[in-house]
Amino acid sequence: MLQCIFLLSDSGEVLLEKQLTGHRVDRAICDWFWNQILTQGDSLKLVPVISSPTHYLFQVVREGITFLACTQIEMPPLMAIEFLCRVADVLSNYLDGLNEDLIKDNFVIVYELLDEMIDNGFPLTTEPNILREMIAPPNIVSKVLSVVTGNTSNVSNTLPGATASCVPWRKTDLKHATNEVYVDLVEEMDATINRDGNLVKCEIYGEVQVNSNLSGLPDLTLSFANPSVFNDVRFHPCVRLRPWELNQILSFVPPDGQFKLMSYRVKKLKSTPIYVKPQFTSDSGTCRISVLVGIRNDPGKSIDNITVEFRLPPCVTSSDLSPNYGSVNVLADKTCSWTIGRMPKDKAPSMSGTLVLETGMERLHVFPTFQVAFRIMGVALSGLKIDKLDLKNPLSRPHKGFRALTRGGEFQVRS
Amino acid sequence: MLTQFGATAESLSKASTMVFRIGTDAHLYDDPDDVSIVPLLDSKFESEKCEALKRLLALIAQGFDVSNYFPQVCSENVATQSLEVKKLVYLYLLHYAEKRPNEALLSINYFQKDLGDPNPLVRAWALRTMAGIRLHAIASLVLVAVGKCARDPSVYVRKCAAIALPKLHDLRLEEHTAAIEEIVGMLLKDNSPGVVGAAASAFASICPNNFSLIGRNYKRLCEILPDVEEWGQIVLIGILLRYAIAKHGLVRESLMLSFDDLEIQSLEKDDPESSHLTVKRPFDGSSFDIYTEIADIVARSYLEGPDKYLARLGHVNQDSLGLDGSCITSATSNDDVKILLQCTSPLLWSYNSAVVLAAAGVHWIMAPKEDIRKIVKPLLFLLRSSGSSKYVVLCNIQVFAKAMPSLFSPYYEDFFISSSDSYRTKTLKLEILSTIATKTSISSIFLEFQDHVRDPDRRFAADTVAAIGLCAQKLPDVANTCLEALLYLALSESSNNAVALMGEEEILLVQVVKSIMAIIKQDPHSHERVIVHLVRSLDSMSAPAARAMVIWMLGEYCNIGDLTSKMIPTIFKYLAQRFHSESVETKLQIVNACVKVLLRAEVEDMSELRLAISYVLELAKCDSNYDVRDRARVLKNFLSHCKGFNYLEEADNLTEFNDLTYVFAEYIFGGTKKVPSESFSYRFYLPGSLSLIVLHAAPGYEPLPEPCSFADDETSHSPTNVHNDHESNDIDDSDDISGSLDEENTSDYSSGSVSGEGGDSYIASDSGEDEEAGTLIHLSDDATDSRDHDRVSVKNTSSGLMDAGELMSKRALESWLNENSGSGQNSSNLSHVQRSLARISIKDIGQLVKPKSYTLLDPTNGNGLSVLYRFSSEVSKVSKELACIHVSFSNHSEGHMCNIFLAEEKPNPSPDSSEKSGSPSESVLVSLDKEATLIPMEEIDRLNPGQTADRVLQVRFEHHLLPLKLVLSCDGRKQQVKLRPDIGYFIKPLPMDIESFLKKESQLPGMFENIRRCTFSEHLNQQNDKDEPPQKDIFLMICEKLALKMLSNANLHLVSVDMPIAANLDDLSGISLRLSGEILNNSVPCLVTLTLKGTCAEPLEVSVKMNCEESVFGLNLLNRIVNFLAEPTR
Repeated sequence: MLQCIFLLSDSGEVLLEKQLTGHRVDRAICDWFWNQILTQGDSLKLVPVISSPTHYLFQVVREGITFLACTQIEMPPLMAIEFLCRVADVLSNYLDGLNEDLIKDNFVIVYELLDEMIDNGFPLTTEPNILREMIAPPNIVSKVLSVVTGNTSNVSNTLPGATASCVPWRKTDLKHATNEVYVDLVEEMDATINRDGNLVKCEIYGEVQVNSNLSGLPDLTLSFANPSVFNDVRFHPCVRLRPWELNQILSFVPPDGQFKLMSYRVKKLKSTPIYVKPQFTSDSGTCRISVLVGIRNDPGKSIDNITVEFRLPPCVTSSDLSPNYGSVNVLADKTCSWTIGRMPKDKAPSMSGTLVLETGMERLHVFPTFQVAFRIMGVALSGLKIDKLDLKNPLSRPHKGFRALTRGGEFQVRS
Repeated sequence: MLTQFGATAESLSKASTMVFRIGTDAHLYDDPDDVSIVPLLDSKFESEKCEALKRLLALIAQGFDVSNYFPQVCSENVATQSLEVKKLVYLYLLHYAEKRPNEALLSINYFQKDLGDPNPLVRAWALRTMAGIRLHAIASLVLVAVGKCARDPSVYVRKCAAIALPKLHDLRLEEHTAAIEEIVGMLLKDNSPGVVGAAASAFASICPNNFSLIGRNYKRLCEILPDVEEWGQIVLIGILLRYAIAKHGLVRESLMLSFDDLEIQSLEKDDPESSHLTVKRPFDGSSFDIYTEIADIVARSYLEGPDKYLARLGHVNQDSLGLDGSCITSATSNDDVKILLQCTSPLLWSYNSAVVLAAAGVHWIMAPKEDIRKIVKPLLFLLRSSGSSKYVVLCNIQVFAKAMPSLFSPYYEDFFISSSDSYRTKTLKLEILSTIATKTSISSIFLEFQDHVRDPDRRFAADTVAAIGLCAQKLPDVANTCLEALLYLALSESSNNAVALMGEEEILLVQVVKSIMAIIKQDPHSHERVIVHLVRSLDSMSAPAARAMVIWMLGEYCNIGDLTSKMIPTIFKYLAQRFHSESVETKLQIVNACVKVLLRAEVEDMSELRLAISYVLELAKCDSNYDVRDRARVLKNFLSHCKGFNYLEEADNLTEFNDLTYVFAEYIFGGTKKVPSESFSYRFYLPGSLSLIVLHAAPGYEPLPEPCSFADDETSHSPTNVHNDHESNDIDDSDDISGSLDEENTSDYSSGSVSGEGGDSYIASDSGEDEEAGTLIHLSDDATDSRDHDRVSVKNTSSGLMDAGELMSKRALESWLNENSGSGQNSSNLSHVQRSLARISIKDIGQLVKPKSYTLLDPTNGNGLSVLYRFSSEVSKVSKELACIHVSFSNHSEGHMCNIFLAEEKPNPSPDSSEKSGSPSESVLVSLDKEATLIPMEEIDRLNPGQTADRVLQVRFEHHLLPLKLVLSCDGRKQQVKLRPDIGYFIKPLPMDIESFLKKESQLPGMFENIRRCTFSEHLNQQNDKDEPPQKDIFLMICEKLALKMLSNANLHLVSVDMPIAANLDDLSGISLRLSGEILNNSVPCLVTLTLKGTCAEPLEVSVKMNCEESVFGLNLLNRIVNFLAEPTR
């Protein structure tokens, strides 16, 4: 079981520590950890499980904040990692983001949350809805109120009823003036295009996100027109698994507010909505680069938020890049990002330029990979269609809404 | 204007951040100690208290020690009504409770008050905090609180109670273990899934092997599993898996038994591979052996732990898992296994990746091989979750893929590397890809690899090259393609290298050559051209390691074809020329190659080659490096005797072939011997464990339980034990008495008929015991205890002083002498005593003490051998921590028995255990070497039918509840037996007089003192049973009865028996017995005082008071005393 949780800033400062069991963990472990990071470079930041001389460390890095948990005994490492991720989610949800200042400013809430979320190293209450009832999130009103009245209590006086109910993710007595439920399909396209321009892999990772503002204890069923497209699925605990096994229907009592109902994967897609064609020609110490972006397969809606990012190989000493559309930014760590934005109607965006190689190097022999991001509103590229959403025990007919959105996920083009 | 505007914008943004920070606790974090905290803490306003506590919390967060505020925080603020203050106080308190235990004690009362609060939140918090204060002193209070909360109406409170249990357990208080486990069992039965999840985690950390708790609820736990909270699911899945294996063993169709399966099949059928294996591996049969072999290693590692398994591997090869048919079950016919698999399979859809992995682990181990397939997709889907979990999941998949590549081979695309993966993830994926590559998929995988070779991260590119090499070795069909590509890469890389000499580039080239070398090794003859190519590019290759490898290949394969032999003279000329500028590594290889070439090459023009080589060797002899010089000398010595090379320019002399050095040279450089195939040194740990990731057994890692170990427990041990307890007492009555007397001989109480004065009521029973006394003396002579010698001598003297039959132990004598001076009474004139003096002395009861005898082995189980054991009051001389146990072996069978011996169970039934039985002396040494939990007894060579032999065992118990597992060997057969400890014998008598007793008692007040009450009713039976002579004093009788009961169940010294002077005839109230003892291992005294209440004709109420510094032990002992007082003797 976990013995201690530290929150570290991106400079290695310990923002706070929470001891979880009687076996105290000294802060020195953080110094050790940070020294390792400094000596071994950032690659260690990506290693989730580290065995230090005294403890096993689990780390999750979110927006510069390192969540570090320690244990000395055998435990499922994924449990620790999942828990840390959950803590990070809850905190960023509470604080509207995650950074050093937010954590410092709200350290009392962070402590209170951690105390509710884990007891003696074992997760206690991790359901965000319940936590919100136990510990009030900071908001402008309460802040102002606290300044005016000096009363700062954010600890609830009663135990949320849900802890006792059979649907622990939902408050028991909810009343909403407007009864509404929104279902969003949010999809991310992962694609890999190899050096020859062939599509090696193209798949969709999607989430069904529901925002429910329903009174009482609603029982929903959601069915898809074409559930056969799913390759893999994972469900929120509220989903009853039996109906899914039998008829591929999602039957559930939703938590209140926004939540991820399910996530799925659709594999083996045949094409991508846009193409990116990088080209390198190198000769006698310089290298010409040209990148073309265009629509391959019109999804029917406009494609926006397009960015192309790549990292110049280490042997490139300087670069001169100019696009015919959008803007190019080269960062200190040789990351180039070309922001295109909305795809223009009249022309295909392109970027060209020259790279100067290290002295003595004739030709470029290593090539970067291009990360492409885009967004298409209103379309689920997997082709998934929601058939209907039913309420079993409607108090009044709720307002239902459906949306879809596709983003570029791990969309990579090798050159 | 513009600058002005800019300034405003800046100040605006500053202002806005200020606004955002207003109302938060920012200022408290920034300067937590800018005001004095103490007055705030003492303030009567909640808000000020709150602020003070927040400041303290901020200081804690920043790593300051603010424990000096502890008294202020605890004294007043705990009592607050405000929940927020409470919460903050609790946060503070828990952080420092261990550091300031005494102050923490002050707040206990408030917690206890809070535990009765109507608000469940308050109750839960109080419990959590109270349990978090790690103080031994309040452990029993906490236990009571937890017990209460475990029955709380609120689910949340029950859940907190379950989580509090490990905190209590963590204090390692033995006396509470039973109670804690009982609560765990209760909570596991809870109706609410949330509680069950928390109880499961408590179970896993408190008593993971107490399968009887699970067995009762197994079905229900399985059914409730999907509703349990995700965190509880993770733990519960593991528990259920362990239980299923301990109860039913492994599944026949599962992967765990694939190796045995194969063996059986190949024995039974002639065509094992064709019929059944092809079904499961439609891809290629070539690597099938490896697959089962690894699967077998995996299975063994899971069961035994890899360290033990690998250690054992050295001694014995490939014995079967040690499972006979009874430990194998079937997934199709066994309901328990079926339900486990059924209930875990929907969890593969869980949102929590840890749950998915845990569920996959169950299927991996328990499901039939065909069904394992269903875990693949969920596992692969986990790869899309966060980067951190991706790495962990890949580590697990890697093991799965090694053992069963066919599972993942259709999904090779999922392991294609994304540039956003971390380096470790990339290497893992490469490794998995090369494991699962098949003929069909290799082409696409290979295309990917080719892309990666040009990745800017050269380390990763080098790893890719290594993976290509692995694939080519695994699939000989693609070897040529791979080789081509690698060769091309090597050539282009070497040209690159010539230009830009970067350390990173070298890695790649070296790896390329290494991979090429590995591929060529498999079939050197068909790859001659490649060698030639490499050798030709030698000039442009700058990495020394790569050059060294190319030269090695040249030497090794110098005679495989025409091309090589033609080019060899030229090459050596080139090498000779370059020799001085080579690195040491390369030079060594050049020298080696020289010898090899001379030994093997069939070159036409030997003279030229000889010249070049001798030149090289001369150069090497004068090299600046020791190693090179030494090697050159040695090799030259070799060569001076072999063909084709002779400094004296002699013609080849065939006779010299016989020279020894030549044989050596041939042996060393002949290269005919095969490189031993890579042995598997993988360490496999259970899927989903931390150990699997860090690749060593983390503390607390436990392999799977021994299959069917639990079933044994259930069927053979507990029922027979219970049974025997009664039986032995019932049937072997006479035996028992004599036995107990044997034992008591060595006790501190005088035996034999000291009781001549003891009143005629005892004479009847004494009569039969005189001869026992004889044997008794004999026995104690046997013992080597110095104390015993004393005792014997005392006995002798005493017997000299008194009647021949009257014996008295030294201590008894002492106390008798003491008593003599004081009251000088013997119990015969009790009536007199009763009236005149408050102190009764019962000196003579030692002989009557009958320690209970337990059955270690039942004759029905032991082929007629029955083994009984009794705790003895003797004290071991070997170590003061050892308890002595008398074991009597009796042969109830027809034939005689040989070589009976009891030894400690070795943790693993190691293969050499068979030898052990043959030579017990060895095992004696072994067990002595280790921590001596058991001083072994002498072996009984022969036991004739009906004969009984007694032995003394000296044992150290780890725990007063954990039975000691022993192995009883008889006639070479082994049997596991369990010795159950009795806390009553974890102490030894501490002789003291009443004054010192009272003094000691007064020193141990308060929390060292515990009182419990029970009823004692045995005297009633006695009255009814025997027709007592009316003159026999009832008081004396009861006191004796009580003392006897005490002494027969615990190793105590009877200090005194007191009664109030003004006692009524019938009223026993006020009689008190005092007993003393000291704990074996730390000599802490335990004082027991029994006080009676009630009348003769009714059950007596006895209050037992225990004064002991070791309050934990004291409480345990107290419980034990109360238990045995209350239970009837029979």
